[in-house]
Amino acid sequence: MAYLELSHINKEFAKAVAVNDFNLSAEQGEFVSFLGPSGCGKTTTLRMIAGFELPTAGKIQIDGKDLTFVPPNKRNVGMVFQSYALFPNMTVAGNIAYGLKVSGKPGAEIKQRVDEMLALIHMDGFSGRYPSQISGGQQQRVALARALAIRPRVLLLDEPLSALDAKIRVELRQEIRRIQQQLGITTIYVTHDQEEALSISDRIVVMSEGKIEQIGSSSEIYNFPKTEFVANFVGQLNLLPVDVVNLADGLVKVGGQLVRTSQTLDHTNGHAIRLAVRPEELNPGHREGENNLLGRVSTITYLGPVVRVRLEVEDRLLTIDMFNERRLQVPVVGDTFEFSFHPNACWLL
Amino acid sequence: MKTKNMNLWALLWAILGMLYFFVPLYGTFDFSLRMKKGVLSFLAYQVVLSDPQFLASFRYSATMGIITVIASVIIFLPTVYWIYIRLPQARPVVEIISILPFIIPAIVFVFGLIRTFDRPPLELTMTPTKTDILITMGYIILSMPYMYRAIDVGMRSIDVRNLTEAAQSLGSNWFQILFNVILPNMRIAVLSGALIVFATVLGELVLGEFLVRPALGPYMVDVGRDEAYQPAAMALMAWGLTWVCLGLISIFGRGNTSEQLTGR
Repeated sequence: MAYLELSHINKEFAKAVAVNDFNLSAEQGEFVSFLGPSGCGKTTTLRMIAGFELPTAGKIQIDGKDLTFVPPNKRNVGMVFQSYALFPNMTVAGNIAYGLKVSGKPGAEIKQRVDEMLALIHMDGFSGRYPSQISGGQQQRVALARALAIRPRVLLLDEPLSALDAKIRVELRQEIRRIQQQLGITTIYVTHDQEEALSISDRIVVMSEGKIEQIGSSSEIYNFPKTEFVANFVGQLNLLPVDVVNLADGLVKVGGQLVRTSQTLDHTNGHAIRLAVRPEELNPGHREGENNLLGRVSTITYLGPVVRVRLEVEDRLLTIDMFNERRLQVPVVGDTFEFSFHPNACWLL
Repeated sequence: MKTKNMNLWALLWAILGMLYFFVPLYGTFDFSLRMKKGVLSFLAYQVVLSDPQFLASFRYSATMGIITVIASVIIFLPTVYWIYIRLPQARPVVEIISILPFIIPAIVFVFGLIRTFDRPPLELTMTPTKTDILITMGYIILSMPYMYRAIDVGMRSIDVRNLTEAAQSLGSNWFQILFNVILPNMRIAVLSGALIVFATVLGELVLGEFLVRPALGPYMVDVGRDEAYQPAAMALMAWGLTWVCLGLISIFGRGNTSEQLTGR
């Protein structure tokens, strides 16, 4: 049995279904991210694990114990909030020590644990400061240390980096991952930021409208999305309506131009077929043995390391991302542009 | 030019406003110093402060004020907290209830109290101690708008829900959350409410008069009926006490701002 087990979890608010038949098994020491747009039910699921919400149906088990109806203060589950939620009347050390004091630990042990935690988050000299006297990133580190000080069975993080600026976010997410791996604590991380989820997770649960769309590793989610929602939500995706030539051979036409895919379909179930391909899989110029198409340059956008070119391919819009090398010959708006991609790089939806 | 004219008008109105406020005050002060014929002295103040009845009534009202403050905090802090955490939909109703003492005349309220609680089984007007319990309950109700508002404003200024959930996830029960996390962060709000409630009880007349208790309000009215200079002295002392209360709110309100703020 897995360390954290969520079985058939449902949550309804009045008549609205927030979480629908959610199932997840997480191993001890695993880092699992819940990824999805606002209102998809990821935070509600996290709050049910914490005990702040009761599931309408289903079971939550940690280390084999049923915690579904156990109050939050009896679960020994650490939680880090988006708004930090540090106690303003307590110093950094006071915040970290709070959970230990409440549980009646002796003073010497509390002091030792607080020092350990301060060292873990690299904030040894900040023990006497109040939350308002440290930066947002430091506040979130303290919140993390406070949650970890009680040695929780599971660590829950609810969009912990959303209130921070981009640079601090990247630094802190690596810090969170380092600490999580160092302590080997089972962690559930809620985010709507795909880059964040892809960069630090062992597995990602992609959610939409209260349901799980896909569970998988970062590479599985990005390279082999199972649904159109996952393909669209995680990364950029070109979706082109195509005419079927031969489904068994994976042959389709974009307008009048033939495209070969490595994927074959038995039937279309009456749905229109679309070709899916990521912008970074498309290469400028002609390549033998690959799909080669022509389009007209519509717009060019510089995004720093990447140049994004929008093309019109027979009335269909398509995006190409090219690495912004110094030698790169950037096309001009209105030019005819040839590009290629491997049959393995695309798939049919 | 136009701005200059506006500034002059503003200054004129400010001066007129101050005169309206300070001239009667000065008149009262001047009158209170003329108890001894032809000499300006603090005799009226001396007479008031040396009157054992004044000291007794002040002690009684101050004691009632402290009891009322403690009881109000015990009643309203958990109530408002619970409304924030569990019953936010009840807030509009509770807000209306909280201002009822402003709407219902105190005299109606007092007669209601007497009519309801002087009968068996409670018979709260039968002994002085029981009547003190009744008068305290009356004070709690009369000062409810002040204490409720102060706590409500304090709750709004902190992230109650997240602080509660953070404390819960660290193993706190409701009592620990309220006393270790919520109350310390509401210190200024509770103190403001407490001082206003205390001042209200000190100056309260109707309950003390009709429940026949030796409160400061009825004493001041009695003295005002029979004497000329002492009521003026007492009015100024009451006014001074109010300013002391406001000053204390201001001093404690400044507090340690670093403890009061948090990232949201």
